[in-house]
Amino acid sequence: MAKTINLTLHVWRQKGTQDKGRFEVYKAEGIDTDMSFLEMLDVVNERLIKEGKEPVAFDHDCREGICGACGAVVNGRPHGPMDKTTLCQLHMRRFKDNDTITIEPWRARGFPVVKDLVVDRSAFDQIMAAGGFISVKTGSAPEANTVPVRRQDAETAMDAAACIGCGACVAACPNASAMLFVGAKVSHFGLLPQGRVEAKERVRGMVARMDAEGFGNCSNHYECEAACPKGISVSTIARMNREYLSSELAE
Amino acid sequence: MNRVKSSIDKKQVVAATGLFLILFVVAHLAGNLFIYGGPEAFNGYARKLAGLRPGLYFVEAALLAVFLVHLDATARLVLENLRARPVGYRQGHSAAGGSFASRLMPWTGAAIVAFVIWHLRDLTFVDRAGPAGILPDGRGYGLFGVVYNSLGNPVHGVLYIAAMLAVGTHLSHGIQSFIQTFGLVGEHRLPAVRRVSNGLGILIALAYSSIPVYVQLSFGAFK
Ligand code: HEM
Ligand code: FES
Repeated sequence: MAKTINLTLHVWRQKGTQDKGRFEVYKAEGIDTDMSFLEMLDVVNERLIKEGKEPVAFDHDCREGICGACGAVVNGRPHGPMDKTTLCQLHMRRFKDNDTITIEPWRARGFPVVKDLVVDRSAFDQIMAAGGFISVKTGSAPEANTVPVRRQDAETAMDAAACIGCGACVAACPNASAMLFVGAKVSHFGLLPQGRVEAKERVRGMVARMDAEGFGNCSNHYECEAACPKGISVSTIARMNREYLSSELAE
Repeated sequence: MNRVKSSIDKKQVVAATGLFLILFVVAHLAGNLFIYGGPEAFNGYARKLAGLRPGLYFVEAALLAVFLVHLDATARLVLENLRARPVGYRQGHSAAGGSFASRLMPWTGAAIVAFVIWHLRDLTFVDRAGPAGILPDGRGYGLFGVVYNSLGNPVHGVLYIAAMLAVGTHLSHGIQSFIQTFGLVGEHRLPAVRRVSNGLGILIALAYSSIPVYVQLSFGAFK
């Protein structure tokens, strides 16, 4: 038998970027604990629509923890109380009957609120366009063993590549810094031989763009690592710092 | 300074100046511990140091410059960081193990500025040969006497220990921070670096704080 719980939600409502925004209180009743957090919001929204009210806007796509679209700050934690879990993969069994839940959008100058819980994360796309790629000639795939990759490098690059670009690192950082995201991308490309070619321009370009987008500076609180649904390590920030320094020394 | 433009440039400046200041804090501590050797040992050390002038003036000027650059760069970073989150969260939460030292950096730093000003007026810019160096037994003890007269005062002693707590807290986060900012260690050694950093911060605070305690306990010997 499925268990159900009743909740009180304090949800951030904001009509648009220019609106000041405010919290509104909603009841979420008879919530099946097997539901995901987003399904719980769906239930609340259906009721709001029936009542002729504006539903709560939130981002989502895959709902299986791989696309990076979802995310809200739940009781002070990006993606909610469960470690290494996106909001869509958070289940309501993590909450108790009669809990009060505060739901807020990512808050950062680099991520302006579009509506309610939806923020504009195109700053991350701009950062990617400033170097988060490798330039290769397309054509038939080269022979796999022509470019050897050390096993450890392959593992570490894959760990960094797990970043889904959701922005929880920025949301969690007391300084709204995007350095874990950029560190992950710099590591992901820079650890592989194909990515080494453009390593210097990459780190310079991405960091310059990150600064221009209005994100803060890392002061090593490591809240980002604790919030990351993919467990990206802050050692990627150390690697980015190192690469940046060596790109300057090489000038 | 023209080349210090990006976020990472500024962080490297904070880390490099911070490292220089750490070296000073450790060297200064080593010198201060001569107090345990009594008036001759302590004043002898002070004389040796003074014998290094005029070279010492360069070191002092460099120290002042490094201190001011650290202040300037950290102030810029802190202001930028405040601007990066114009609307705050209603509900805060720390999931990273709640290191209060990292959040307190601007405040422990400000406490260090206040302390340094007071400390220089109290112990450095005084006439050692004058009454400030004379202890209750009526004899002049030079710099040793100046230190005893100041830290022998319980209010001064408590303020001094409070300031050393601020220094220790700043360094418990600062030491691991410069290592991370320079990118010196990878994932596996970072937890150990954090532990050593916290340990060194506590150790440095305790070692400095032992001095006013010792002065209070041994003050009676000069009556
Ligand atoms: C004995 C003197 C001092 C020492 C040894 C020292 C050392 C350090 C070190 C090693 C760091 C870490 C650098 C990094 O992030 O990689 C640091 C950061 C910092 N220091 Fe100091 N410092 C001293 C004085 C001050 C003063 C006087 C202030 C200013 C009021 C200050 C404010 C800060 C701040 C705000 C940070 C964090 C910057 C950030 O990452 O956002 N410090 N300090
Ligand atoms: S909706 Fe795709 S990760 Fe949550």
